Amino acid sequence: MIHALLALALVAPLPAQAVEKPPTSEQTVSQTSAAENDEARRSEAATRVADWIAASGDNGALPYIIIDKAAASLLLFDAKGKLLGAAPVLIGVAVGDEATPGIGTKNLAEIGPAERTTPAGRFLAKFGMAAGRQKVLWVDYATSVALHPIPKGNQKERRRQRMLSPAIDDNRITFGCINVPMALYNKSVRPLFQKKGGYVYVLPDTKPLDVVFPRLRAQPFPNAAAS
Amino acid sequence: MSPSLKKLAPAVMILTGSLALGGCATKGFVREQVAVVSQRVDALETQLQATDATAKSAQAEAQSASGQAQNNGQRLDQLNARVDGIEQRMQQAQQKRPRN
Repeated sequence: MIHALLALALVAPLPAQAVEKPPTSEQTVSQTSAAENDEARRSEAATRVADWIAASGDNGALPYIIIDKAAASLLLFDAKGKLLGAAPVLIGVAVGDEATPGIGTKNLAEIGPAERTTPAGRFLAKFGMAAGRQKVLWVDYATSVALHPIPKGNQKERRRQRMLSPAIDDNRITFGCINVPMALYNKSVRPLFQKKGGYVYVLPDTKPLDVVFPRLRAQPFPNAAAS
Repeated sequence: MSPSLKKLAPAVMILTGSLALGGCATKGFVREQVAVVSQRVDALETQLQATDATAKSAQAEAQSASGQAQNNGQRLDQLNARVDGIEQRMQQAQQKRPRN
């Protein structure tokens, strides 16, 4: 009887706290599977923009990143347009493609929920200093949008779990910055962007794609060309 | 006049004459001496002119250097102001907080 009870206790599900405990090392996160998932859920818009950049050389021989807000994912390319990786990202909690005027001078506490957008557009991103003697990849310095790993902060936001989950909606949590997996940031983004920076193309939530990237109009749809 | 003096008179005259004649220089000798001195004066004059030219050149260079130093000083002041501005901006940048 006692043995039976012990066996039952061992196979019983872990308490909720234990389930929610973050992984011991972010590097051990199933990056490959996350990247595969991300590549799989890559939107048509991301493909179109990627094709346009590769065809037109819009990146100016610099590495570039495409942030697919609809898929909450990132595509990283080298200067020659070779896809180096894909990963899930966390983005601004509010849906929208504009940044509120003057938001770059506000404290986090002063930024209202509706203002927490990740602005869409083409940005020349460079590494630079930020508060707390940290270096971040500034995507849009004026509006304080940067690309960096998940910051140590409010644990209640469960950002790591959100990044790991296959759902897309829960990846909207930041104040506008783009949070990326630590391993990708340290191993790929930093070495690629450290010297000369690179371009970050943030795809829109609501605006038409060719309004955000006007030069895209010169690029024919692949389907149109095939038909 | 005593006889001993009479005997000595010619000798005294000869001695006096030789002494008097020995004190006078000939024209040729004087010309030679003057020519040597004149050459030296000419050489000194040339040297002086060269030195004068060098001094003038040095003075011009010094004035130019002084002007350049003044310009450099002004540029340094301007750069200083720019460095101050950049430093301030860097300090501000270090205060800039990303929207996490």
